[in-house]
Parts: sequence; structure tokens; C-alpha cells
Amino acid sequence: MNLIWRRLHQFVRLGSLPLFAAAGFTAHAAPFPPPGQRPEPLGVHALVGARVVVKPGVTNENTTILIRDGRIESVGVNLALPADARIWPMKGRTIYAGFIDPYLTLDSNARPVQTTMTVPIEATSGAGFFGVPGEEKDPGTPGPGAALSTITPEFRMARGYTPDAKALESLREIGFTAGNLVPNKGILRGTSAFVLLTEGNPNELILKPDVAQHIAFDPHAAGEDAYPHSLMGVIAAIRQTLLDAQHHDKLKAAENSAKPAPFNPSLDSLKPFLDRKKSVIFEPGSALMVDRAARLASEFDLKSIIVSSGQEWRRPELAKSANAAFIVPVNFPALPKLPEPDDWDQATLDQLRAWDWAAENPALLRREKITIALTLHGLADRKSFRKNLQLARDRGLSATDALAALTTVPAAFCGLDDQLGTIEKGKLANLTIVDGDYFDPAAKLQAVWIQGRIHPITPPAVPVEAKANLPEKNADTKPEKTDKVAELRAALSRVTANAPSKFRGALTNPPAILIRNATIWTSGPQGRLLNTDLLIIGERIKAVGKNLKAPSEFAGKGLLEIDGAGLHVTPGLIDCHSHSMILGGVNEATLPSTAQVRIGDVVNSETENIFWQLAGGLTTANLLHGSANPIGGQSAVIKLRHGSAPEDLKFAAAPAGIKFALGENVKQANWGEKHTRRFPQTRMGVRTFFQNRFLAARQYQSEWEEFRKKGGTPPRRDLELETIVEILRGERWIHCHSYRQDEILTFLRLMEDFGVKVGTLQHVLEGYKVADEIARHGAGASCFSDWWAFKFEVYDAIAYAGSLMHQRGAVVSFNSDSSDLARRLNLEAAKAVKYGSTTEEEALKFVTLNPAKQLKIDQRVGSLEPGKDADFALWSKSPLDSGTVCLQTWIEGKKFYDRTAAASRAAGLRKERDALLDKARKVIALGGSDGASPAAQAAFFREVWEHARDQHLHECLDCKGKHDKP
Amino acid sequence: MNTFHFSFIPLALALLTAVSASSARAETLLFRASVVHTIANGDITDGEVLVKDGKIFLIGKGLPTIGAQLIELKGQHLYPGLIAPNSSLGLVEIGAVRASVDTTEVGAFTPDVQSWIAVNPDSELIPVARANGITHALVVPSGGIVPGQSGLIALAGWGVEGMTAKRPVAMHLEWPDMSLNTTPKEHLRDASKWKSPEDQAKERRKKLKEIEDFFDEAKAYAKARAAAAKDFKAHPAWESMLPVVRGELPLFIYAEELRQIKAALQWSTNQNQRIVIVGGRDAALTADALAKTQTPVIFEHVFTLPPRDSDAHDVHFRAAAQLHKAGVKIAFGLGLGGWGASGLRNLPYSAAQSAAHGLPEAEALKSLTLYPAQILGVADRLGSIEQGKEASLIATDGNILDIRSNVKRMWIAGKETSLESRHTRLYEKYRNRPKLN
Repeated sequence: MNLIWRRLHQFVRLGSLPLFAAAGFTAHAAPFPPPGQRPEPLGVHALVGARVVVKPGVTNENTTILIRDGRIESVGVNLALPADARIWPMKGRTIYAGFIDPYLTLDSNARPVQTTMTVPIEATSGAGFFGVPGEEKDPGTPGPGAALSTITPEFRMARGYTPDAKALESLREIGFTAGNLVPNKGILRGTSAFVLLTEGNPNELILKPDVAQHIAFDPHAAGEDAYPHSLMGVIAAIRQTLLDAQHHDKLKAAENSAKPAPFNPSLDSLKPFLDRKKSVIFEPGSALMVDRAARLASEFDLKSIIVSSGQEWRRPELAKSANAAFIVPVNFPALPKLPEPDDWDQATLDQLRAWDWAAENPALLRREKITIALTLHGLADRKSFRKNLQLARDRGLSATDALAALTTVPAAFCGLDDQLGTIEKGKLANLTIVDGDYFDPAAKLQAVWIQGRIHPITPPAVPVEAKANLPEKNADTKPEKTDKVAELRAALSRVTANAPSKFRGALTNPPAILIRNATIWTSGPQGRLLNTDLLIIGERIKAVGKNLKAPSEFAGKGLLEIDGAGLHVTPGLIDCHSHSMILGGVNEATLPSTAQVRIGDVVNSETENIFWQLAGGLTTANLLHGSANPIGGQSAVIKLRHGSAPEDLKFAAAPAGIKFALGENVKQANWGEKHTRRFPQTRMGVRTFFQNRFLAARQYQSEWEEFRKKGGTPPRRDLELETIVEILRGERWIHCHSYRQDEILTFLRLMEDFGVKVGTLQHVLEGYKVADEIARHGAGASCFSDWWAFKFEVYDAIAYAGSLMHQRGAVVSFNSDSSDLARRLNLEAAKAVKYGSTTEEEALKFVTLNPAKQLKIDQRVGSLEPGKDADFALWSKSPLDSGTVCLQTWIEGKKFYDRTAAASRAAGLRKERDALLDKARKVIALGGSDGASPAAQAAFFREVWEHARDQHLHECLDCKGKHDKP
Repeated sequence: MNTFHFSFIPLALALLTAVSASSARAETLLFRASVVHTIANGDITDGEVLVKDGKIFLIGKGLPTIGAQLIELKGQHLYPGLIAPNSSLGLVEIGAVRASVDTTEVGAFTPDVQSWIAVNPDSELIPVARANGITHALVVPSGGIVPGQSGLIALAGWGVEGMTAKRPVAMHLEWPDMSLNTTPKEHLRDASKWKSPEDQAKERRKKLKEIEDFFDEAKAYAKARAAAAKDFKAHPAWESMLPVVRGELPLFIYAEELRQIKAALQWSTNQNQRIVIVGGRDAALTADALAKTQTPVIFEHVFTLPPRDSDAHDVHFRAAAQLHKAGVKIAFGLGLGGWGASGLRNLPYSAAQSAAHGLPEAEALKSLTLYPAQILGVADRLGSIEQGKEASLIATDGNILDIRSNVKRMWIAGKETSLESRHTRLYEKYRNRPKLN
């Protein structure tokens, strides 16, 4: 039954049909009600004598609310009760404005963005991208729209909405009266629709269609075989789509355009969001991606709201700097029931932290002065909402903030604050009525009112047997139970876990450092110096030499002196091929060219790999896309400034790079029989493919040049080709995974044809066979020290390759391609001494100066020379001696690793884990996990991208695990 | 340290002459090295080793040179050959090329599968391992629960028969995975495969029962066979288990996680079965129990990333030292499969990294030589420079634990072995490529 019906009945009864038109119903007058139908109530109600929370923070006792025609007519003490009003005595009850969920899903299959690993390598299909045989004529979803099936911004939740009584009842039972229904599939998902949570005619229930556009960073959305299938691919797809929409708009605006805009409902639908007329709601899925969402929003000037992953505790400052409001879930993980005590050995510190921090997250965001709304999103068991809300309240979320997060804030997010969110005259009569305080989970919810109509909440029936037992049992157990409940609440009310930042960051940052009498491997023109001093002022090296003195200004204050007698100092080590700090997938393996994806979008600042590699003297790493496609993604050079956020890890002075790959991986030789359709499948085709993309890029380049000369409508920006143009212009360096001598030469020659100088050949296992050609081209050779025989194309790999290429004049580095080897690149360098008799000083350069040269950062790092960054490591013995141990690692004059401090750090981590396990055991003993849903228990073990440490082992095609039992 | 008493030399010399006279193909070699690392009895500076018919005859200084071919190793170190106690060497050429892989058989219980008969003597991986001092490797079948028997091969010799040094060395058991699968149901491709923690616990018990049953049946077979029961039918699988249940053949158990190692120890105590733990990722966490039961460990995880996020970064670098301190005998391995086989030459550096993190250097050397020899039951022949043992020796230009050192020469059972490999051949070929002008 809908409102119009009710009003109609009312008018008929009063005999005031003339009012009919005045009330504004001329547009669609309801038919005269058929006989046999239950007569409608008058629709005038007086809720008398309640405690009314008119808005967050304002509570009036003994107050009456008058409702007429679905709206609040007046609110006040001692109101005159109209004669036509039905009277509802409300003494002892509290009335709140009806609750609103701004991120509501009714589909029971809908879940938050999954941060599990994507399946490593998959086939290619879908998308109107090149390289797929028999390219689809109608890519994406059937009909007009985007080329990717996950880009459906034109999708409208309003279109398919029909109320589902059961789903709605479960929402009303916990006090919700309205919600913004959000689409839950895809990446650019479409628009949400604001609905009243009651049954009836959908036309009447949808208060507002197209509330916001929804973007989710979901690499699982495309399925297993379509682009994008990695987190960085998702970001790239969003960026390209938004650019396309801007371009589309320009085309449409252009008069007399030679190229009229094609019909594209996807791109059309994005206009109001690009014009800031409406909000975009991002679901970034993880704490780090909050920052990426904020940056995307500012890149495209979007009005944005962010859906919290519940894990902003990992880096609260990123949430703060996002400068956006948040929609916050309360889907806290519960402690799992594990049958054997040993099972708990598998609970990681991070999982225990995530459990312990979860309930703190809403309050933590508020403490950062972030506006929050709450949502049921991700909460499989809705009945646990109030209990979880209490947990959040016990962690410091105030009643006022909590209520605002359920009423005024979501109303404002949806642009409906003129109609909902408070109990004020003229607003819709959406009310939540409780016998007591809503935030006390024991207080019974009595009813919700939606648009002036009551929906009583029926308490669940108590079985007869239970009833019979109740009084006696209560008498016995109640006091004890109450104690237990209080104890449990007390145990859960304080966070035990540390903030991750506690164990990160610079240990010291002295204004000046003087290391005396050490053996200094400069990797520069001074060579290796015995009994020598190294002076550092601020972030830079001041001098290397004998008997150095610090400037007098630092004497006695600020100068850190280190006795280097017996110790060795080297430049900080540099890894030219790393996958260790990448979030959400190393390969965008789907398409043969993914030049548009950027490792820089997904740098992982949270992984323990950073600390482990610092402990091996590493200070700089070149983060590369995997080798699944001929043209991989854009790379990112980082410094291991432990504790810094992703953007601050980046080595700002490093020129841009990109991963290319040749050979078995890109031709899918070891991908299984399923993968035989993507071009290229042979080394012949690899060349053809590169030629194709470089020619396409040239054409693209000239289109833009034409435009710059002649003006008019700008060409469409194509992020793939734009990136290749940067290569053609010498602004982006290629790091090309390569194995066999023929493919190496072929690639170098092709690039020479395009006037491109290759930055490095990566792995370059047979490079020793064409060392002269590599040296002459000027490409760096960045290799494994001694890997071989794991694939057919590495059967001729030899451990002497590095030395041999060095002898022939190539700039050679040894890289890790492994989170393990990155911990001991100095010992890898020793293999150049062993195999091929490279001198020790030159061998060390394989992991210091030479990778710096290859990455074009040797003006800043790679050697200990005055003016360069003070990035260095201190060793107990020669860095090439297998018995050596790294004692300290410094970056820009800050100490990030110290062996002694590392031991106490490890003890601290262990202690924290023990404390959290103790807490978990106590909570379980107090019944804290009783009644927890299976989903909440499973959430305890949820995989988190930030926490992944050996991701590349699953994904890197070149590094099978140690125990690669076939 | 010099343990040889010079007063015995005349007597020994007399013996030597007698032996020489009795053998037609007698060959006497006198090794003279800057340092002789006997492993069993310390180092001898400017030491000598007299080898007769492939066996070590005398060790000391100033040994008689009469009739012996002098092998002058000036500036070099002499060590016993290194022993790799767990590998797929010879069973796999290229991991990614299926046709070249013979590591893993089908079936959960295949005790009659024997590794040494399938070793490719001309595998290019063998000379590469040899080139860095490895003279012997245990070749181990993998797969299932009881994948079969391993054999020890010398890394030189004519054909599989010429290379096999001991067969069988051990029966192998791969302890079932006992970890809790914590993947949420909705993340599984097939949700019906999801099992609750309770069901998983049940399944773990079932798997252990399966192992118990197999060994009980093996014992029953042994009993029936001994009693020569009337209708007794011999079966090669059960025949293979006889030396195991009789305690004649050691049982090597692949166990990595703490729970697996604990369960394997418990089981072996109940069964009164002497075992060796292979893999042993978490062995240091239960070092005392391993020491108490005198269970040796072939540790394969020096370079494995810390498995727990609350672990110290160097947890595995220090693990061998912890095991040693607790009294556990250790050897090192690099795991089965192609990766371990092609990288076997790096075996010494697992010991070296452990030495850099607290394992005494002498112990690190033993863990590459004498201890694996003892664990594999060949310490009467291999693993140290001691009288009566095989002259499987390597001469290096530096400390074998130092990556910068190179193995210069190698002898297996007194016979000099080439250190040439696919790698040295390709290196020679391409370093001689005329310079492009």
C-alpha cells in the first residue's frame, strides 16, 4: 500500500475532494479504491511523551511528535493533540530519527572488495583491446557501452529495484528505515538509489535515483580471464575510463566536429560526476588504497566519499589526508573457534592486530576529525550490528557521533538532509523507537516508522521449554553472567595491539655523522680505502678521506661519531629488479600490452620485506611489473624509507621506467595448454607485436602534434600509447626481461630502428653471448648471479655471465627478483669474484654503482662520494665475505636499521603477539566468541594485501619456489 | 692440530709397501696442502695425506714420499668432498620441461620405488654441482606419503651402476600437511571443498592413522614372513618395508611446520622408529625435543623468508646455531625438485650464512661433510679425512664457506675428477669470441 492510496482514502472520507488537486496529485491520480481492500488508516499520529532525540546531541524529554501524511507536522512538549490523530503513548521510550545506511546492499552475495590474491596468470579475453584474435565487435557487456564488462557507470540500481520483504525486515529489526542501495558488481559500477525500507510500489519507495556513482578497486570483478585482473590494472582502467568520459564530453561539445561523438551511454553517464554535480563513492578495499582513491579523486576533480575497509588504523594519516568523508563498516572479525590449541600458532600478529583494532576504527577516524557514516556493508550477520556498535562505542565512538553516523551524516551524503536525518517539522516521518537507549544492545527495539507508517518489531518467539526454564536459570546464573559480560566488555574496551608505525621509521637522524677509521668501499673513483673517515652532513655525504673533522658547529652537539675500526662501509645496496613491495598483484597478465598500468599506483609501504631487506643493507629498489606480457607496466623506484607512506617511498629523482619482456613467459610457453590464443605465441610474433605498438604510438604522437599545431578537438588520450610515446621521446626507460641471444639482438635492433636506447636488459641470461652488441647499444645488463635450468630458455645460462659482460664493457648489475635474495645482494656480488674473477671493487659495484647507473640515479646514489645521498651500510666484515653481517643501514643520513635494535624490535613483536593471544584466550573464555557468525569468524583470517610478503613467489614466472615439487 | 704420531710412520710405511706389492693397479698419492681440514680431527697446516688405492692411508706432516705421486696443492685447502643429503639431482634436468622430470611418482604409498636407478648420469646439472665441491648427493624420490627409497650417488663414474655409492640409504616419508586452512569459504573456487576447523582436525587425525596403519601392516607382513606362513604371498612394496620395520633402514621424514615435526617425533617415539627430519623449517622451535630423541635434521630453510610476521628477520639464519646449541646434529639441503638441483652448488652457503649467525665454523664444515655422512650411514667411508676412508677430496683456493673461493681440483675415491661443466664450456667458448669491431 502506498501513500497515495492512503491519502486518497482520507480525502474521500472527509468529503474534501476539491483538496485533491491542491495537494498536488493531478499528475497521477490514484484509481478509486476497489472494494474488498483493507481500508487505509487516517495517517495522523501523535507519539506522546517520549524521550526524543531530535538530532544528534539534542534530546528532549516528555515530547510529542505529530505526524500527518507521512511527514512530521510538529515536535514539542505539551502539543495540542489533533482530534483526528491516533494517540500513541510513548512514555519510557526513546525516539530517534530513522536510521539510514548510505551503502546498502540487499544482495546476499554482495561482499566488500576482496583483498585476496588474484589468481596469478590467466588467459586474455574480453575488451576491445588489441592482441586478441577475433577481436570482439561488441566488447564489454552486450549492447553499447564500455569495452570492459566491469565498466558500467550507466548501470542504475533504481531500475531493477523491487522490495524484498524478508531483506527489509532484517534491516528494520535493527532500526534502519532508509538506505542508499549500491550496485555491487564491477569496477565503475553505476549509480545508487535511495530507498525507503518498506514494501510497496517501487516508484514511491525510491526517494532518489542516481545518488552517487560507485567505483570499487576490485581486481576480482572482471573474472579470471579479462582485463583488469590486478589492482594496478583496476586503477588504470578507472583512469582511462574517466579520461574517455572527459574526451567524449569534449567531442559532444565541439561544433562541426569532423569526428562526431559516438553513442556511448557509459561515458555519457559520467558527466554529472565529472562536473562535480554528484558524488563518487569509492570502495578502495584496503587502507593504502584510500590514498589512491583520494589521489584519483583529485586528479579528476571528483566530489568523493570513501568506503572504509575497516583498516584505516594501519595508516590513519592517509585517511586524514584523503580529505573526504568516510562510510565505515562495523563488520568486525570475531575470534574463530579452533578445536586444537596448536591451531592458534597460525594466527599471525597482523590478524590478531586486525581483530583487536577493528572496533577502534570508527572512533579512530573521528579522532582524526573525519566525518563518518556507518554502514552494514560486509556484515553478514546483521543481528550483530548493535553488539558491534557497542564495541565501537566502548572504544570511544561517542553516542552523538554514532547517532549522526546513522542519521544526519548519511542523509547529507545522499543529498536528502532536507527530508531525513532529524526529527523536525516537515521531514519525513522516519523514526526508530526503542525501549531505552539504542546503544544498549539489551534495550528492545519497539518499532520503526517509515514515512508515517508503523512497522512494529516483533521480538523473536521464545520456545515454550526455554520459557519454563527461564526463571530458575536466571536466578542461578544471572549475577555471574552479568559479571562475565562486564568483564568481557572491559577486556574489549581497550586496544592492546600496537600501531604498526611503532616498529617502523628512522631510528636516529643526527645532523652530522662521522665514521672513523673504517674500510670504505666507495664504489667511486676513490676505490676501496682503508682506515678512512666518512663525513655526512644532513642528508648528504660531505667528505670521504683521512682524519676528517666535522664542522665546528656540530662539535659537541649533533655530531654522531662511529668508531669504524675493523668495520666496512659500502654504499646502500640497490636492487634493479624487485617485486617485493607491490600491492595486489605483480602482473597485469591479461593483455599483451599493459603499458597503462603503474606500479607507482600500488606501492606497498606496509610489508615486512622493507625491514628484512634493509637488514641486508639494501636502500633502493626498482619495483617492476612481472613478465607475463611483452609490454608490462610502468615501474617505480623506491628508497626503503621504512615507515613512510607509499608516495614518500618513491625516489623522486629517478626517471620513469617500464617493464618489457621477451621469450617463454610472454609467449605463454609454460602457462598450460589453455593458453594458445593470445598474440604472440612465438619469438617471431614478439618482435611483430612490439613493432605494432611502437608504430601505433608514433601515429598517436603525430595526431597530438597535429592537434597542438592546428587546434580543434584534442585526440582521445590513450594511456597505453602515451606511455610508449614517452619511451620514443627518451623520457621513459625500458627494463626488458630477456633470455636468449637471438631475442636480445632482435629487440635491440628493433628499438634502434625506433631510435630508442634500452635502459636495461633484465636477467639477460644469454647476454654473455652477445655482450659486445649489448655494450655497443649501451643497454645495462641486470642479471641473476647464477640461476639456470629452471626453464628451457635458461639451459645456457651461466654464472660467468656477469663477469663476461662486464669484461666486454657492459654496465652489469646483479638483481634479486626475489624477496629472499634482496636480503643479501652483497653475497650475490661475491659470485662475480668467484665466477670470472671480477675484482672485488668492481663486483661490489654490481649491486651499488652499476644498478644506479642503469636506473639513471647515479648522480644521487650508488657510491660514497661528496654530494651524494648519505645512503650506506655498515658491515662486520668485507661485504663480500660470507661471514659478514650488516650492522646498520642508513638512508639520507637517517638510520633505518640497526642490528641491536632489530633484536629488541623482534622481541617487541613477539611480546605483542603473546599479549594479543592472551587477550584472545581470555575473550573466548568469557564467551566473547559465542554466537559469532561463521562469516565473522572467517574474517579473522582475512588476507590483507598490505601484509603480503612473498607475493612474487606466487606470481613471478621466473622464480619457482624452493620446493618446486612438480 | 696434528693428531698423527710420527713414531707410527715406519710401521705404517711397511704396511703401505705390503699393500702396494699386493695390488696390480696400486696407485699411491701424496697430497700436500696449505691446510688439511680433516673435519674429524681439526686442521693441519702444511699437512699431507697419503692415499693408497683410493683410500686414505696416512694423515700428517712430512710423510714418506717413496713411490707416491706427489700432488702439490700450494696455497690450497684440502677438504673431504661435500655431501648433499637431499636432492633430485639426476632426476630432473629442466623443471619446466615435463619430459625431463622424473622426480615424482603417482600413489600415496610406493615404498618399492627406487631413485638411483633413474639417475641420468649425463645430466648437465651434475658437473655444475661437482664444480663447487659436491662429491656425493642423496637422490630422493618425492610425492605421496611414502614415495620410496633413496640412494647415494657419487657425482662421477660410468653409468648409474658406477655412480651409485649406497643403495638404499633411506626410506622416505612426506609428513601430511597439518596446517589449518584458513581460507574463507567464499574465497574457494569450489565452496563445497571448504572444511571447518573441526573437520580439518578430524582429517589430520585420519591422515596420521593412515600412516600408522601402513606401518602396522608392514610389521604384520614382516611377522608373517618370518613365520613362513603357508599361504604367504610376497609383495615388493611390503618387501621394501622390511628393513624399515626391522630398524635396518633409516626413515627420513619430510616435516616443515612445528606441528608436523612434533607429530613426527611423537609418532616415531611410539613406533620406536629412528627418524631423520628433513626440511625442518620450524625445527629450532622444538630443538630440545629433537636433541632428546637424538633426531638429526637436514635443514633446508636458511634462506626461507621468516614464516611468521612476529619472527625476527634473521630467524632462519640463526636456526642452525640454535639447533647445534641444543645438541641436534644438522646437515643442510636445498630441497627437492629442479630448483634445488640446479642450485645445488650453493649448498655450502647455507652453512656459511649459519656460521655468520652463530654456528661455529667447524660445525658448519661438519654439517656439509661428516654429519651428512653419518646421517646417511656412510661415515665409515666418507665425510672426513681419516684413515681408512675414501679419498673423496676437494682442493680449494680459500675457505670453502667463502663464496669468493673456488674449487680447483676434486678426487672421488682417489680418482681425479674433471671440474668442467656446461657452464665452463660455454664460458670458454664465449670469452674467446672475437671482439666485435
